Amino acid sequence: MQPGINIIQQVIIRFKFYKKEEFKYLSHLDIVRILCRALNRAGFNVAYSSGYNPKPKIRFSAPTPLGIESFAEYGEVTLNDNIDGNEFKERINKELNNKMQVVEAKKLSGKTDSFMNEIAVNLYTFALDVASSTKPLLEKFYGSIWEGLIEKSDFMGSIYRYEMLPSKESSNIVFLKIYGYAKIFKEKNNDFFKFNNFYLFLKECLKEYRICIGNVKKEESFALDGNRIKVLQI
Amino acid sequence: MKEIKILNFDMLEKLLEGIEKPGRYINTEIGVRSKNPRVEENGGFDSKILMALVFPDIYEVGMSNLGIQILYDIVNKHENFTAERVFSPWIDFEKKLREEKIKIFSLENRIFLDCFDIVGFTVQHELLYTNILNMLDLGGINIYSKQRDERSPIICAGGPAAVNPQPISKFMDFFVIGDGEEIIIHILQVLKVYKESRKEKGWFLKEISRLDGVYVPEFYKFYYYPDGRVKKIEPEKKIKKAVIKNLDEFKIVSNPVIPNIKTIHDRFIVEIMRGCSRGCRFCQAGFIYRPVRKRNVESLVRQSVEGLKNTGYDEISFLSLSSSDYGEIEQLIRDTISLYHSSQTGRLSISLPSLRLDSFNLKLMELIQTGRKTGLTFAPEAGSQRMRDIINKNIKESEMIETIKMAFNEGWEKIKLYFMIGLPFESEDDVREITELIERIIAAAREKLPRKKLSRLKINVSINAFCPKPFTPFQWISQDHPENLQMKFNYILKNVPKRYVDIKWVDPYKSMIECALSRGNEFVCDVIEYAWRGGAKFDNWSDFFNFNIWEESFKRAGLDAGFFTTAGFSEDEILPWDVIDIGVNKKFLLKEYDKSKKCAAGYKYNTAGYNKI
Repeated sequence: MQPGINIIQQVIIRFKFYKKEEFKYLSHLDIVRILCRALNRAGFNVAYSSGYNPKPKIRFSAPTPLGIESFAEYGEVTLNDNIDGNEFKERINKELNNKMQVVEAKKLSGKTDSFMNEIAVNLYTFALDVASSTKPLLEKFYGSIWEGLIEKSDFMGSIYRYEMLPSKESSNIVFLKIYGYAKIFKEKNNDFFKFNNFYLFLKECLKEYRICIGNVKKEESFALDGNRIKVLQI
Repeated sequence: MKEIKILNFDMLEKLLEGIEKPGRYINTEIGVRSKNPRVEENGGFDSKILMALVFPDIYEVGMSNLGIQILYDIVNKHENFTAERVFSPWIDFEKKLREEKIKIFSLENRIFLDCFDIVGFTVQHELLYTNILNMLDLGGINIYSKQRDERSPIICAGGPAAVNPQPISKFMDFFVIGDGEEIIIHILQVLKVYKESRKEKGWFLKEISRLDGVYVPEFYKFYYYPDGRVKKIEPEKKIKKAVIKNLDEFKIVSNPVIPNIKTIHDRFIVEIMRGCSRGCRFCQAGFIYRPVRKRNVESLVRQSVEGLKNTGYDEISFLSLSSSDYGEIEQLIRDTISLYHSSQTGRLSISLPSLRLDSFNLKLMELIQTGRKTGLTFAPEAGSQRMRDIINKNIKESEMIETIKMAFNEGWEKIKLYFMIGLPFESEDDVREITELIERIIAAAREKLPRKKLSRLKINVSINAFCPKPFTPFQWISQDHPENLQMKFNYILKNVPKRYVDIKWVDPYKSMIECALSRGNEFVCDVIEYAWRGGAKFDNWSDFFNFNIWEESFKRAGLDAGFFTTAGFSEDEILPWDVIDIGVNKKFLLKEYDKSKKCAAGYKYNTAGYNKI
């Protein structure tokens, strides 16, 4: 190495994290700020963009709506340290509350395109409180929502495979799993699949059947693979 | 033993549905260190004194306040005590709480306010008084000290808007005047004895009243003349302000609670100096925080960088009333930057909120500027040299214009100016000179800025109505009438070149109420109660301030707001706040007042109606 010249090796760390319980009440920008400060506390050398107002080189997957727990949040950060995914995960998690933790981190080798854009569809779970409802009503709802979804979309049916799973702990709660909020519904009806619109639709739908939505979770993100979807791998 | 009731998470979730910025009400910040009641070491909470530190404004404002962080740190360091924070709920959440009949609770362990042993309000300005009542009420606590029994928490207040305790004296069991760092532990120790030996509240108050800085309203009696002026205060012995002599004995809070959501001042805050030696006669802080005490520069540098590392902030604010008077300010900045960069590669930005700008300090600004050169702030406060002499604002126009020219040369583009109107002995000329000063600054910009930059020049001018405050040389002065103030402002608005100037103005009726509250006596307590019952809260927020409510409330209490504002006080009368010895004696204030009168007399004096200008 020549004197006076620093060769800084930059690495990109891609990571997946969750935000649950109280942390679901924090906005996307809050989460970004919290993560940036945690990176500083952990002593990572975050790379900065050049220009008038240098910004840390960090990006995140599209915002999850406020009030929704998420187990599929993604980020990519450029560091001026040569560290691997495991070390990143270990050090950053010590600086984060246990309600927001990195579950997986990977050092990217070579130049890779950001994969945030690949996210095609997210899987949401709605915990439905059916205490005041009856089983036949629930089945009616089942049929009606199916129709509603098919009617409002022109994409293949496999995306709308949804499951209703009775909860183990409480017979009053069933889980509804729905894929939605996706960029693949580009053409018409895309707005319907914006999460908040869908949430409203579902709430209205459920009202007739006297079913309330309890907790909502974003469980997983998927990428498009030909005509099918596959779980996003970091 | 009193049961400690806690709001559970399920209930919180129900409450937060549809609530704006729910992050205000959750408890997961880094740096939180109240004791956990679920951990049974040391016998859980039964053996602890529980203190609620209450900031009667919303989370984003309260979490920007250093005082709360300091007290939080001190109390929680002590094994026998635990402190939790409580902020005012925003309108939507208050509505929800009232609908669901749920009391307000602390952030950390969601303990209901009425389950604390002691509730301490920090009061930053007078327009928060109604929020105090609102929060007591939301906490299920009777607002009147006399109507609270032994089962109720002890309620106290401190902070700059409590230096005259009278207007909220009926609501508080006691007040803390001055620096809280030492006295808070003494008070809590007495409280522990009181709680464990089940003595009476009177015993507790008597014990703490021996401490410097503690004012217990029920131990004092005020006698009045029929016109409402104070005749006598009994006993005559004044309450001496609590003062810590050496700031360095108290380390800075290097592991503050780091807010999850964005706050007003979202950065690491370090107090470098307390008190101010400038002696601007209008400035209450300049008198009540005396004497000047500064922190040692080496340890400041070390602790600042330690704090930045602990918190992960990349922005630090060096707080004081006048940072240019901190002797080693340049060393502080340089050494902090270099020590920070010995271990950190990111960029550090530094803010100096009270820097008096001159050619020397402009270089400091260059040093701390990262990225684009944004705004510079000047606070000439008055337009004319005459008025700056009267208020003892030691700033010369020529010097200021020079600095501004230099700033334009160096690439700065935005200028912010602070002025006051309604200052003592103000004449038409003084007001006119505000507009002339602004014009001369624009002329300087025309001279120095290239055309392209000139076209986007914006000078932000903020005009405030002067509000005479207790413990200043202007404490006796009659406040200008709101209609007069509005006329003066209209004149300025009409006469400044609008192309380059953005002008902001505070409702003069709000200043009037602020003044009436700050110089109020114990009868103003009723006004505050009526105003609050009438719906007044968040009075400092322009959207909420409602003068009609206040007008009605004064009327209902049988008082005239003008008695505390436009009427003024005479120099030989006993003032409602004379029960407090703030450390600056009345003779000195009078001498300063006389000096300002002499300054006024030295110039042409014209107080004719402003509609004529």
